[in-house]
Order: sequence, then C-alpha cells, then structure tokens
Amino acid sequence: MDQEFKTHVETKVADSTPPPERGAAAMQLKDVSVSFHGRTAVRDCTFDITKNRVTSLIGPSGSGKTTLLRALNRLHDLTPGAKVSGQILLEGTDIYRGDITVTELRTRVGMVFQRPNPFPTMSIYENAISGLRFNGVKKKSILDEAAESSLKSAALWDSVQNRLKVAASNLSGGEQQRLCIARALAMDPEVLLMDEPTSALDPIATLKIEELMTELKKRVTVIIVTHNMQQAARISDDCAFLLMGEDRAGELIEFDTTQKIFNNPIDPRTLDYTLGRFG
Amino acid sequence: MSIIIPPDFGTHEEVVPEFNSGTPSRSWYHYLLIAASIVFAAVSVGFVGTILWNSLPEWSHHTGTLLGGSGWQAPLGPFGGLAMIVGTLETSVIALVVAVIIGLGTSISIVFLVPRRFRNVIATLVELLAAVPSIVYGLWGFLVLAPWMLNTVDPFLNRLPFAREVFGNSSQEFGTSLLLAAIVLSVMILPTFVAISREVISVVPQDLIEASLSLGATKWQVIREVVLPTAKIGLVGATFLALARATGETVAVALVAGGVANTQFHLLYPGTSIASWIATEFGEAQGNEIAALMALGVLLMIVNFGLSLISRGLVSRQRKVLAIV
Amino acid sequence: MSDITELEKPVETGHQMRDEIRQISDRVRGRRQLRSRIMVTLCATALSVTAVPLFLLLYQLFRRGLPVILHAGFFTQLPQTPSLITPNATGGVSNAILGSLVLTLYAAIMAIPVGVLVGVYLAESDSKLAASLRVIAQTMAGAPSILMGLFAFSFVVRDLHVGFSAIAGSFALAVLMLPVIVISSEIAVRGVPNTLREAGLALGAKPHKVSLKIVLPAAVTGIVTGIILAISRAIGETAPVLLVIGGGYINSWKPLDPVSALPLSIYENAKSEWPSLRTEVWGIALVLVVFVFVLSLSARIWASRKQQAR
Repeated sequence: MDQEFKTHVETKVADSTPPPERGAAAMQLKDVSVSFHGRTAVRDCTFDITKNRVTSLIGPSGSGKTTLLRALNRLHDLTPGAKVSGQILLEGTDIYRGDITVTELRTRVGMVFQRPNPFPTMSIYENAISGLRFNGVKKKSILDEAAESSLKSAALWDSVQNRLKVAASNLSGGEQQRLCIARALAMDPEVLLMDEPTSALDPIATLKIEELMTELKKRVTVIIVTHNMQQAARISDDCAFLLMGEDRAGELIEFDTTQKIFNNPIDPRTLDYTLGRFG
Repeated sequence: MSIIIPPDFGTHEEVVPEFNSGTPSRSWYHYLLIAASIVFAAVSVGFVGTILWNSLPEWSHHTGTLLGGSGWQAPLGPFGGLAMIVGTLETSVIALVVAVIIGLGTSISIVFLVPRRFRNVIATLVELLAAVPSIVYGLWGFLVLAPWMLNTVDPFLNRLPFAREVFGNSSQEFGTSLLLAAIVLSVMILPTFVAISREVISVVPQDLIEASLSLGATKWQVIREVVLPTAKIGLVGATFLALARATGETVAVALVAGGVANTQFHLLYPGTSIASWIATEFGEAQGNEIAALMALGVLLMIVNFGLSLISRGLVSRQRKVLAIV
Repeated sequence: MSDITELEKPVETGHQMRDEIRQISDRVRGRRQLRSRIMVTLCATALSVTAVPLFLLLYQLFRRGLPVILHAGFFTQLPQTPSLITPNATGGVSNAILGSLVLTLYAAIMAIPVGVLVGVYLAESDSKLAASLRVIAQTMAGAPSILMGLFAFSFVVRDLHVGFSAIAGSFALAVLMLPVIVISSEIAVRGVPNTLREAGLALGAKPHKVSLKIVLPAAVTGIVTGIILAISRAIGETAPVLLVIGGGYINSWKPLDPVSALPLSIYENAKSEWPSLRTEVWGIALVLVVFVFVLSLSARIWASRKQQAR
C-alpha cells in the first residue's frame, strides 16, 4: 500500500469513485459510547475494523481515543461508574452482551500499554508465556514454542534467546515494550490493541516497533491509538479521527483509509488536524 | 497519620540543605535542634544501657540457666528463662499465623473488593482496633473469652484425636491457657499487619493489574500471580513487624496465659511469656531476681529490635522493586 | 488516474497453535473462574472476621460497663475495698482518673518539646546523625513498653532515689511517647511543600527564620495530630507504669507521690475475688476506650479537615 504523503492540492478524488473492497471485519463498532458516572467521554462511534490491517485512532488529547480503545477489551469493567453503550462485535459476537465471557474475550483481544509493564517478578520467558499460564496451559512444549514464536514476532528472540531466565527488568525500555508485545502475541489473539505504545520510548526504539507492525498485521489485526499523526501516516492502513466536542465528549469525525484521511479528507476538521493546525 | 506508625513509605522529598550548606552563621535555632537531638540520643542510649547494665550480673554467671533452665526460683535463683522463651514462641507464632492469614484476606478485600466510598470507614475501623489499649483486650480475654474457652472450646479440642499431645487435658480453673493468649494476641496484631500489608498491596502499579487482566486472568489470578508476588518483600516485612509486636505484648498475655512458669508445649496448659513474666514478677522482686528479670528484658529487646530492623529493611527493599516498574 | 489502490488482502500467517491453546483454555476456564469466586469470597469473609472482635468487644464494654459508670460516685469517689458486709462497696476511681491525668501531663511536658524539635531536625537535615536518629526513633517506637518501665525503675525510682512516684511513671511514658512524636513531627514537617520554603528563601530570609516563621506554622496540624495520638497511646499503657507508680489510693498532684492510673486499676482488679470489683473494671475499661477512641477519631477528623482546607 502506497504510503506517500501527498498534499490535498495535488490529488483530488472524484466523488463517484466506488469505495474500496474491504476484507472481513475483525471488530465492528455500532453507536458505541462510553460514559463515567453519567458524563459522556466518547460518543456514537460507528466503524468497522478490517482484518489484518492496522487501524489507528488519532486525534488531539482528550478526544476519547484511549477510552474507546479500552472499551474493546472491556477494561472499563474495572472502573466503577463506567458505562459502555452501543454494540461492539468481535467476529459477529457482541462482546458485552453476547455469548462470550470477559476472560475469553481478552484471550482473543490482546493489549499493549503506553508504558512498558513487564511483570517485575518474572523472567523474560515467564513474562512471554504469562498469558498462556493464566489460561491454564501447562505443557512445556506448547509454552516453549509459544515463547519462541512470540518473541520472534516481536523481533526480540535474537537478543534474548540466551538469557530467557533473566529478570525482565534488565531489558531496556524498547526491549521491555517488545516483550510486552510478545506477551500479548503469545496468546495468538485475533486483535491487538495498542495504546500509544511508543510514546514512552526513544526514537530508535520507536522505529523498531513501527517496523514490527507491518509484519504483525499478517498475524493479527492491529488497532493503535497514537497522538503522533506522522506515526499514524507511516504505519496505519485505516484511520479513525476523533475530536472532543463542545460538551467535552469525544466523537468520531471521520473514518477512512489513511491515504484518504491524510490526502483528501472529507471533514475540514480532519484536514486542519493533519496539517498540524491544532492538537 | 494513625496510631499505627507504618515503616517509611514515602519518598523523601529533596531536602533543602539547611544544615549542609556550610553557612558560617549557626543560629540559636540550629543549636536548639542539635541539643534536643542529643537529649533524644542520650535517652535512647540510656534506655538500652540501663537495662543491659542491670542484667550483667545474671548474664555473666548464669547465661545457660537464663536461656535453657526450666525453673524460676525466687528470691535467690536459679532463674531459668526457658519457660518464658517457649511460651513467647508458641503464643507469638500461632498468633502470627492466624493474623497473617486473616489479615492478608482483609487487606486484599480492602484494596480490591471494597467500593471506594467505604474504604475510609474500614480504615477507621482498623485504626480503632489498633487504638484499643492492650489491657482492655486482656480484660476481655480474661473475663469473656476464658470462660467461653473453658466451657465450649477446651472440651471440644480435647476430644480431637491428637489432643493429648498438642493440647494436653487442661483442668485450668479459669480457662486461661497459651492457646487463649495466642488468640488474643492474634486479634491485637491483626491491625498492625493489615495496615502495612494494605499499604504495600495498594502501591502495586495499576498498570500491572490491567496488563494481567488483559491477558485473560481472573481476579484471583491477578492477585495471586501478580500483585502478591510483586508485594512479597513488603508483606514479609509486615509479618516481621507483627511478630515484633506479638513478642512485646505484656499485660494482655499476663491476664490470659495463666502465669505459670512451666516449660511445656501443651496449648491448653497455662504458660507465660517473657514480657508478661517480667510484669508479674517484678513487683515482689529483690536484688538477684531483679537482675534476672532485667536479663529477660535484654532478651526481649534483642528479639524485638532485631525483628523491627529486619522488617524496615525489607520494606525499603520493597520500595526499590516498585521503582523499577 | 485513480488514487485509490485496491486494498490488499494479505495472507494470514498460520495459526497452528491457536486452536490447541484455545481448546485448553476453554476447558479450564470454568474451573478458574469458580476458584476465583471462591477465593474472593474467602477474602471478603476474612474482612468480616476482622471486624467481629471489635464489635464483640464494644458490645461487652457497653453492656457491662455502662451501668458501672452511671453509678453515682464512680468518677468522684475514692476506691474502697468491699467486705463481707458490704460486698458492693467499691467506691469510685477518682484516684485513677486523676492519676492518669497527672501522669500524662508530666509526660507530655517532658516529651513534646524534645520530640517536636528532633522531628523538625530530622525533616530538615541530611546528616548521618539525622539518619541514625531516624532509625533509633523507629526502633524505639516499636519497643515493648514493659522495657520503659524497667528503665524508669532503674533510673528514676532507684538511682535517683525518687521512689515509686508519679514522676517515675511520667518518665516511662515520656520515653514511650518521645519516638512517636519524633516520627510524626518529621512526617508533618516533610509534608510541607518545598515550594513554601523556597519562596521564603527566595525573598532573602535566613534559613532558620524560614523554618520558624513559614514551615513550622504550616506543619502545626500534623504535629498536633501526632501529639494527640501519642497521648492517646500513653494513657492506655499499663506496662510502663505498672512497675513504678506505686498505685496510690489518694488523689494527688504531687510528682513525688505514688499515684494510680486507669489501666493499672483495671489490671489490679481484673483478677479480684470480689465480683463487684470484677464488674467495676468494665466501667473503667469503658472510660478508657471511649477516651482513646475520641482522641483517635478527633485527630483523624482534624487532620483531614485541615488537609481539605489547603
């Protein structure tokens, strides 16, 4: 997919062009809103996440991107007073009201957080397979295979294969974050949620992880929140642009392919954001 | 701030170098503070030194008896401290096991299960439990629990298969026993353990909890496999501090343990502890016996200070673990 | 030229292990969730168990103690020894109440100035001396209180030839209160934001003036809270005073006289052969507990209210 950054002056798309054919949807959002103690944080989001693509949620801070992301693996269940309305479907099953338990959902939708957070009392190996252990997998052959496979997918295997038993805290920030990615991948989820995964890392580490994503999307569908729109332009296939409205609730302004969002978005606010006029 | 002084958790803010900047003019304020510090240091040193000094006659001649002898013959001796040591160990260890099990469950509940608005109420409750004077616990133990033990618990325990070895058939008049002392002690050290363990558990980063939940862990798995291991060092520190408190309890044990200097392990028999023996015997003591009691005091001091220092060392190590995360 | 490139439908890399993992985890999921629910329930039970003794205790205290303290003369009369003819003539506990007040007062006078000053020093200094004093204070704060009694006996009663007296008991209590006040004062002073101090220094004030005029007044709430808690603890302690105050049966303010105390009178009468005395101790205990609770709660409330006012 062509990632060239063209200005809107050079490319003008006719309205009659048919929409691109999309593959199957990994997740679908229909009128999703999240509120805390009655105060709406993000409102009425409707779009589909296509399988095996990187979808980024972009927008200035406060626009509800992270709040929306955390609804996708039901992390808001932890927060008293949080209410998620609308429909979120994973392969057709409503994750809140459908025939799927929260634990099962989270084995199919993994998450990587903003700050690298490997479990401090566990070794690299134990961190990588921690998800499998939680879910009852005990057979060493499976665990070993999963560890190697996930660490390879996270581009960490080469540097740690000889020190798997070492404490995870010995790794650098970027390596720790890749370990967290491996940890999430070991479960072989269908979707991987990433909440600003590189914002706490130095540029080199950031680059390494961005390079990872192109490979990652062959295995999982990636949904990434980023406040860095250049990053979004570099790595994502689709983009959802959110903005905080007058009532301080975030809402979806526009959702389309990254190329369209950055080259000739429909909404003027999207254009303003991608041109760096605010945020 | 509460009546329970937990070990130092907070990070020490950068201290404005008042006294270290080498300001040539030392004010009267500075001298006043130093003077007070000297007084404090002197009192503390005097505290340790006095008891040590008074006990020397006994230590120099009868170390073996003090630590290993069984009988306490007032007024001239020999003064055997084994019964007190054994009693202290039995009551404190049992109390500790009970307090840690219940206390851990309580702290976990407070941090993870209790809704935010109730947390203050519960914290106050725990504080009030800690504020109750030991004598009142002792009184309650003696006048309320002891008869209950005598009438209900003892007969039941004595019917169990291994009763003879563990409990002994007690025919104590009042129902006082080492077991009762252990029970009362566990109630008394519970708030100490809960206060510290709650603190240790609640500073485990939310990040880790969310990460483990996101992998599909159940609530209990998060607690057992992530939170507790991360807090482990601090929890051990809390245990040591609770143990320190248990060994130092005086009047409550004095009222409910039975006050008999028998070296034995049967839980339903009366016994004594180091601290309570000092309290009960000191009134009538003369000369040599005073020295012997002071010697017991030294023992108590060593145990208590040792446990206390280990505990605080562990808790500060715990802080370092969290700093890496 | 169309700008919309056809979206690739990339090939999914194989998910060989996924099915096996999902199978295993589906199988054990129910069991895991059941165990989680059980353990969580057990933890909640533990919480209730913790609360039970407090309520049982309070119930007994009020049930048995209230009638006693409502009895006329409880607070004002001196104790009497019951006899066969007058088995219920226990008198009152005025000597113990006065004794506790006297002991605490003298102890406070001895402990508060030194304690606060040392606490301030610890908060403002980085020296080795300060570090050692901090460790000493923390260790002493956890020391068994009977040892304070031993110290006071040896030093005040014997070496200073003062004999069994109020001052000896106060000394023991002061040694008890001192480290507690040191620790809480340090916390209070450290709680004052550094910005306050820096502002004062920036205005050109000398460091010690900054401490006195700016930092200390801001820390007063915390310091007072710590003092209240220390007093609350001292009033309830038996062991330190048991050995040294002599148990006086008269009302006296004089530091050199033997004196009684509330916890001591409980201790003496708990094992009495007279049922009336054994009942009376509940009243004394009730007074003690109410007093301690009121102090603790007020300290807490005051501290949090001042915190909100900031």
